[in-house]
Amino acid sequence: MNTFKLQIGTPDGLLFSGDVERVVCRSITGDLAILAGHANFCTALGMGEAHVVLPDGTRRNAACIGGMLSVMNGECHLLATTWEWQEDIDRARAEEAKARAEAKLNETGVSEKEYQIFRAKLQRALVRLGVH
Amino acid sequence: MAANMKAVKLRIKSVQNTMQITRAMELVASSKLRKAKERADNCRPYFEELYRTLDTIASGNTDFSSVYAREAASERWCYVVVAGDRGLAGGYNANLFKRLEAEAQGKDYTVLPLGKKSVEYFKRRGVPILTESFAEVAKVKVGDCFEMARMLCKEFREGNFGHISLCYTQFHNMLSQAPDFIPALPLMDLTWDDPKDRGPVRDLILYEPDSAEVFDAIVPEYLAGLIYGAVCESEVSELAARRTAMEAATNNAEEMIEKLNLHYNRARQASITQEITEIVAGAEGV
Repeated sequence: MNTFKLQIGTPDGLLFSGDVERVVCRSITGDLAILAGHANFCTALGMGEAHVVLPDGTRRNAACIGGMLSVMNGECHLLATTWEWQEDIDRARAEEAKARAEAKLNETGVSEKEYQIFRAKLQRALVRLGVH
Repeated sequence: MAANMKAVKLRIKSVQNTMQITRAMELVASSKLRKAKERADNCRPYFEELYRTLDTIASGNTDFSSVYAREAASERWCYVVVAGDRGLAGGYNANLFKRLEAEAQGKDYTVLPLGKKSVEYFKRRGVPILTESFAEVAKVKVGDCFEMARMLCKEFREGNFGHISLCYTQFHNMLSQAPDFIPALPLMDLTWDDPKDRGPVRDLILYEPDSAEVFDAIVPEYLAGLIYGAVCESEVSELAARRTAMEAATNNAEEMIEKLNLHYNRARQASITQEITEIVAGAEGV
């Protein structure tokens, strides 16, 4: 299969740069896959599981939260707010965050702003735990 | 002569104390610098990639349905100015403000200052300040950058200003840092040249679901990424500037102490000679 250049960057560094066969991630409207030869394209990323397929057929899973994906002249740039490879995800921490957020959301008398914050936290924890 | 000796001795002591402080500051700056440099090096590819991608999109964009992609609605500027929290960093803060003054000449502008020095400066000049909640640049984390970006986007959408620019210090190497400017919004500002001069756009971009929605979602993130990158660059520049300045100050103090020691010894010798002369003269008199 044809391959294309992919770069994955987050504020914590450039996490991946090289040729891949396919990249799948969740945009604000749903899952999408990019293959080689894609037209110029730009979308915003949502929260969800993502994976890339390397030229040798291995698949690397990751959690991807927020950011943008663009394909320009055959090169794909994926600039995420958070991108964690499956092996880098701290599951214990995510479980903890999930439990904490759930407990907070079950409490009464949480302000609207706090509710939003904890809901986002819960969502992030669930995305991390969902990668396997 | 004795009085002179005492004065010189006091002066040596005070210079020594100052030297101790400058040396300590130099050491602190260089140890912090290592960490800050790591952070900036990690962040730089993202920062550059982000800017380049948006630049490509902006120059190829033909769809102006999003407020971020349209021509500026107002001639008012908003500068995000990243300076330091403390002085004693050579020309770090002063150079940045000078550059800003040159850039903002004759423009109507508001600032979002980061760093205590920057807040102080704009307060003194009476420039309207958007918020002071990010006065301490050392405490700014990624989350704060997102908050700032959301705030800026909200103001931008409401038309309170038509342009957003970042003013920060670019780190070149340990010895050279230069204040820099980058236009952030609207996206048309990124392309520099007049849109009318551009040739026909060949690379059309597909937006999903549509350009307005994509821009609305990515612009706050893009702005947050840019601000975070600027903060990282500025922090490492500040520390490098401080280290260089403190190194120079320590060297100066050493030189001064050497000179003062010479003075002191000369004064001591003179007073001893005088004493002997007096004793000899007195003995002769008897």
